[in-house]
Amino acid sequence: MLDEHTLTRRDLLFAAAFVPVAALTASAQTGPVALTPGEMKTLEAFIDRLVPTDELGPGAVESRAQLYIDRVLAGPNANEKAEFLEGLEAVNAYAQGTQGAPLADLPAEKRDLVLKAIDENTAEGLPQGRPFFNRARRLTLEGMFGDPYYGGNGAFAGWDLIRYPGPRPAVDAEMQRMDAAPAPYDHSAWGPQYK
Amino acid sequence: MANTLKPVDVAVLGLGATGGVAVLPLARAGLKIAGIEAGTWMDPHRDFHADEIYNNVRRQVTTSPKAQREIPTVRTGPGEKARPPAAHPMMNAIGGTSIHYWAQSWRLKAWDFKTRSETTQRYGAAALPAGTTLEDWPLTYDELAPFYDVVEDEVGVSGAAGNIGGKLTGRGNPFESPRAKEYPMPPLRGAGFTDHMAETARKLGWKPFAPPAAINSQPRKGRSSCVYHGYCGSGGCHVSAKGSTAVTTIPEAQKTKNLTIFDNAHVTRIETDANGRVTGVRYLRNREEFFQPAKVVLLAGYTYENSRLLLLSKSKPYPKGLSNNHGQVGRHYFGHWNSFVTALFPHDINTWYGLPAQGTTCDEWADDNFDHSGMGFIGGSSLHVMTERHPIDAAAMNTFGRAPGWGSAWKKFIQENAGRQSNTYIQTNTFPYETMYLDLDDEITDPLGDPVCRINTGGMRENERLATQNANSKMEQWFQAAGAIQVAQTPPFVPGVSTHAYGGTRMGDNADTNVVNRWGFSHEAPNLGVLGASVMGTSGARNPTLTAQALAWRTADYLVKNWKSLSS
Repeated sequence: MLDEHTLTRRDLLFAAAFVPVAALTASAQTGPVALTPGEMKTLEAFIDRLVPTDELGPGAVESRAQLYIDRVLAGPNANEKAEFLEGLEAVNAYAQGTQGAPLADLPAEKRDLVLKAIDENTAEGLPQGRPFFNRARRLTLEGMFGDPYYGGNGAFAGWDLIRYPGPRPAVDAEMQRMDAAPAPYDHSAWGPQYK
Repeated sequence: MANTLKPVDVAVLGLGATGGVAVLPLARAGLKIAGIEAGTWMDPHRDFHADEIYNNVRRQVTTSPKAQREIPTVRTGPGEKARPPAAHPMMNAIGGTSIHYWAQSWRLKAWDFKTRSETTQRYGAAALPAGTTLEDWPLTYDELAPFYDVVEDEVGVSGAAGNIGGKLTGRGNPFESPRAKEYPMPPLRGAGFTDHMAETARKLGWKPFAPPAAINSQPRKGRSSCVYHGYCGSGGCHVSAKGSTAVTTIPEAQKTKNLTIFDNAHVTRIETDANGRVTGVRYLRNREEFFQPAKVVLLAGYTYENSRLLLLSKSKPYPKGLSNNHGQVGRHYFGHWNSFVTALFPHDINTWYGLPAQGTTCDEWADDNFDHSGMGFIGGSSLHVMTERHPIDAAAMNTFGRAPGWGSAWKKFIQENAGRQSNTYIQTNTFPYETMYLDLDDEITDPLGDPVCRINTGGMRENERLATQNANSKMEQWFQAAGAIQVAQTPPFVPGVSTHAYGGTRMGDNADTNVVNRWGFSHEAPNLGVLGASVMGTSGARNPTLTAQALAWRTADYLVKNWKSLSS
């Protein structure tokens, strides 16, 4: 029920427009399909700061969240592709204007300044910054913590980070004890080839 | 021209939670039934998966085209432009929303049936919420109880009786109204965390219990028991442990060979003759129009569609819409008030697996279970703590002001806390009001050009706001006693499009204030019955489905027993 109350209209439009599973499977075999190599570089530079690789383990890029985002923008979320890429380009232009280089060419701390300005709504001349930030963050979470079938959560890094024990087919009472820490069941619901 | 089909005895419009139940007593009685359903069969192996993106992000189980193309709009009231809301989680399928619901299968309390008179008697008429159109139901709990018994058996409900024949059992809900017997199955097992919450509630002097669910706690009638794998809400059950009508009453009815299912059928109008009797149903299937003649029509859509289809079905005898000569269709509508309180614990609570119906409920602050003198509201809320947590949802959790929303500090926060947050489900007794109703939108239509349903909320309700706030503070107390280090409440909000929508075709003896009579048949069109929560005049502080199903069985039972007079 909780998620039913927090849905956005956009989620719904995507849901209504979902592509057949066969098409998704086909897209899962190929490389990036929605973003140009340049756009992909910018996206990686952005989501790498949302969830950095650090002493706790892989971040968004190492977990292939960008691959998830690329695939959904090419497929089920195609109707937001244009808006998303406009937002990405605007952020890139903002980085150029305020930090002197495109996002992908900036060191981590300067990219953090760009993200901070957008997050805190102080990025002047970037009206689409905040909606883009929210959307990019949401898609990054989906990519990093969703089933690897969709391209992200590489090597189950997202699930391992938060100690989600994996989609077991059946769960017994012992595994549901409050002090139990079920061993990671790192399996995709769609088969062992997705990891 | 429509293709006219072979006449049937009864056309049931919608094979969801209620239509899917009603077909069984009709079929067993030998009546020939056309089950006309906008969706089709779902396949457990093809359609139900342990995958959050599939179920909860893309909503591939809960979204089907017809319902998504006629999502109601919402406004406070006249003079305001109604807007399409975020989303509509109701769906079309054989089994309908009973495929993906949480399956919490409650009976209402005797008090819910007589709230007006009980309140007046205990607190005086001034205690009734201002502007309410509340009436006592035309039937009592005791009259509905035998139908609860039947439906609990047919769909398979697990639970612990709290009160058998007026004697408290020491298990189950001590506040429930008397039951004739135990549940068909023992309750679902608890999880470590919900057991801890139950223990805490007992220390507070409350009486927690495992709530009833239409989910097998043990193998029954050829269906598996629950596997507690954590993908129940918004997903279908791949082992058919959930008692959706698609795996219980509908296949049972099919065995009689008296039920013919017409799937992917989009009903556009209910037709009437010059005398005001309904004659059948018009629907579209694969762009072709059909007319299904029927001696009796049972309208069993969801609450919004029930009112909408009646308002759309205008005719000479019913110029304002079918069964609406008294202007009551759409009236006495209300969406269930609910609220969410979340808590952060200083240790992992391991609620990943399980299901929303696996949990602990306290009823101390619901209904009239406490003295409301001087509190400024009637009713209250049930408090429910549960399991089932998905990784994306967990990663997107509220950081309780303890961390930013991104970067290494955020990552450290969710690494530590994603498995330490508990959610609740708090449902509040909700009442109908003069300024809250359904009508047709004057701008937005479905692809056929028919206006969508419009919800007029009437705005904030003081009664429900105070009741919700009271419940939220009790929930906070419960969490703190259980060791939570931080608790967050959502402020009370006015429901928009709801999965718990009531009224619009209310049941009552007075034709001036109700659409259907005490048996669920129209006061105006004698061979038209209405099934669903749209006939309910109060919500209870708990999920509506079992009550709507018991009422549906009762209406079907009445139809069987009075077939001659109702069908001619």
